[in-house]
Amino acid sequence: MLRIQNVTKAFGALMAVHGVSLEIGDTGVTGLVGPNGSGKSTLFHLITGFYRLDQGDIFFGPHSIGRLPPHEISRLGLIRSFQHTRPLPFMTVIDNLIAAAPGQTGELIWPLFLKPARVRREENNLHEKARGILRLLDLLPLADELAGRLSYGQQKLMELGRILMAGPRMILLDEPTAGINPTLIRRLVEVLHRLCEQGIQIFLIEHNMPLVAKLCQHVFVMDSGELIFSGTPKQAREEPRVIEAYLGRENHAA
Amino acid sequence: MSYYLQLLLNGVIAGSVYALFAVGLTLVYGVFRFINFAHAELISWGAYLTLMFSSPPVSWPLCLAVIPAVLLTAFIGFSQDWFIYRPLRRGSPITLLIASIGLSYMLRNVLRLIWGSDLMTFSLPLARGFEFSGYYVTGIQLLMLAAALLFLMILYLLLTKSLMGKSLRATADNLELAAIMGVSMPKVSAVVWTLASVFAAAGGILLALDTNLEPMMGVANLIKAFAAVLLGGAGNVWGALLGGLFIGIAENLGVAFFSPGYKDFVSFAVIFLLLLFRPRGIFGLLTGVR
Amino acid sequence: MDYLLHVMILALIYSVFAMSLNLELGYAGLYNFGHVAFFGIGAYVSALLSHAGVPVSAAMICALAAAGITGALLAVPALRVSGDYFGIATLVFAEMFRLVCLNERWLTKGPMGLPGIPRPAWIAPGVEGMPAYLLFAFLAAVGTFVFIRRLTGSPFGRALKVIREDEHMAQAFGKNILLFKVKAIVAGSVLAGWAGTLWAHYISYISPADFTLTETILVLLCVVLGGRGTNWGPVVGAIAVVFFGEAVRFLPIPPALTRYVAPLQGIIYGGILVVIMMKMPNGMIPEHRRKNT
Repeated sequence: MLRIQNVTKAFGALMAVHGVSLEIGDTGVTGLVGPNGSGKSTLFHLITGFYRLDQGDIFFGPHSIGRLPPHEISRLGLIRSFQHTRPLPFMTVIDNLIAAAPGQTGELIWPLFLKPARVRREENNLHEKARGILRLLDLLPLADELAGRLSYGQQKLMELGRILMAGPRMILLDEPTAGINPTLIRRLVEVLHRLCEQGIQIFLIEHNMPLVAKLCQHVFVMDSGELIFSGTPKQAREEPRVIEAYLGRENHAA
Repeated sequence: MSYYLQLLLNGVIAGSVYALFAVGLTLVYGVFRFINFAHAELISWGAYLTLMFSSPPVSWPLCLAVIPAVLLTAFIGFSQDWFIYRPLRRGSPITLLIASIGLSYMLRNVLRLIWGSDLMTFSLPLARGFEFSGYYVTGIQLLMLAAALLFLMILYLLLTKSLMGKSLRATADNLELAAIMGVSMPKVSAVVWTLASVFAAAGGILLALDTNLEPMMGVANLIKAFAAVLLGGAGNVWGALLGGLFIGIAENLGVAFFSPGYKDFVSFAVIFLLLLFRPRGIFGLLTGVR
Repeated sequence: MDYLLHVMILALIYSVFAMSLNLELGYAGLYNFGHVAFFGIGAYVSALLSHAGVPVSAAMICALAAAGITGALLAVPALRVSGDYFGIATLVFAEMFRLVCLNERWLTKGPMGLPGIPRPAWIAPGVEGMPAYLLFAFLAAVGTFVFIRRLTGSPFGRALKVIREDEHMAQAFGKNILLFKVKAIVAGSVLAGWAGTLWAHYISYISPADFTLTETILVLLCVVLGGRGTNWGPVVGAIAVVFFGEAVRFLPIPPALTRYVAPLQGIIYGGILVVIMMKMPNGMIPEHRRKNT
């Protein structure tokens, strides 16, 4: 579904991502791990069009997305989260979700005045859809709360809800469990499983290794901008290069 | 041919004054990261205060009147920062820009309140021109060139040879890092506002001697200074200097081709084209995604 | 009495102008400091066409179109930069517009300006027409208000706010931010042009001196004083600014001191702008009633 071909990105002299090629089929949940600064987030920015590729190309289904702007990639159903939560603090939770829906007629000026009935109908449908998603996330009681007043973990869940509103075929999550408590992590994992059952692909950056082992069918490991491993989480734990990438740094730190 | 050379000469003289305005503007931008619209008023206040001290009842000779005028302008510069910009520094650059636009309007109207809106001139003995092998320069223009050179020389020594200058450049490079490395912000800020005010006042006085005084003189020249700042790269002192010269020359050569009414169009067009074609290249505004 | 009518008409026209700026500045977060150019384009196009014999209503429509098209032409390049640089680019654009009006005498008569701009056929010229013009301006302002409320209360307005708050987030959810911003600027420019035609046909004489930085500051003051990003804010701000400005004329000022009135007004306007930025950045009608932060 997602195919990355020989992708390279440099910032000045720093090779952030170097010659990375990988392919994700219909695996369910795929992990991307690696030490800090290994280029994982940069790779996500490249996939979603926020950074421009220096070299290589990226395909999503039949589409080449390597040169597309972020909003067009998003409309193909490849939706991402950001490393830090980005709520719209002065909108209610439910409005945060509704705003994320693509292709709203009411976002165009002429139909807004010429087809008010259609706009109203769509708006009602989005409202229903958003409530359904909030129910799934156990956030329904907070629907009319301002997003800025939610806890960090709740905001992370809300952001997942926003992604679901966008009708994704594949979700890119940048450290979805960082900084949230175990109860919410469990909730999140449950939801991710449910999404997989609906055929949505998930590609996530995660530092919590036990969670990766539990969640992911396949992992990719990056180090210093290069892809050093591709396989199951179990194989990854036995692969010398992966161990070195992690332990080598830990030894440095010690 | 000599006509164009004469225009070029006029351009260099005007440009050296624009450079004085631009240097202060770019320094403030480099250190505080906002466009100080009220820089314009430092230019006009410098000129008007000099007029005040050199005309009755004070009637000091010009070279003496300049001193309190420049000091008072520097005081205005300090007060701007102390009372308005410093408390707002945590806000967005837009808040600061709007505040500085409001402040500029306020100061300009204080000027009108005191001196009125009509054109005024320094009543100097009729300026005698000099002729150098066919090129014509007035004494005041020579003074402009000399003073601009002197000021820029002082700036060069200050920035490259003194410890303060090094702190200043470090701060313009990276505000947070400079603070960590023990650069004293109050000191840097004092130096920046002194330099900006003194240079603006000096430029304003020179310009007023050459032409005349009117309340809008600051704003009109601020736009030229801004074009110079953009040309040189925002925050870059030497760039602003060259940018000022470029604007002065381009404007004066432009007179040969366009109607004089469009003289100011040159700096407008420069700003517009730069923003159009090199928005990122010049400012290094490429903001990362986090 | 006539004077009160005059002030009310001015306040309504300024409300339209302020509402149009608020669409860009308040809702889309685009700090357009050259908005007066679109007011001017509306005024000039309308005035020139009606001088050429075009019926006033048709001239007005053409003026709106001209302002909108110019808005789009400005938006596309100017949006390559953001924040304070966008502000400067638009400010410079307005000054360029003014220079063109000053210098292209064959078209605009330069600093002489254009006198004798006719009113719509159904409104009498001079003082007799004032009540009718008040009605016209009132309907125009109400129409603008309803239009903007529909626009900003809709999914379109919601998307604008998302873009204002977080561009990357908006892009990640498929919003074409450039397109939204261009639309906001075009709509804002058309409405500013609308305010400009209303003004030109009322005041009957325009010149480049009417479209200076001062007008930009005044309309900016209306918006930030009233409250950015709210529907009533700019209306309240415009009424406050216009009534304050005109009330000063009724103060018992000896004739010898009248030359001090305009500068004093300017000092107060500028001062208010500074104070709002420092003490009350959300204006009289804040967009969010912030409980924390």
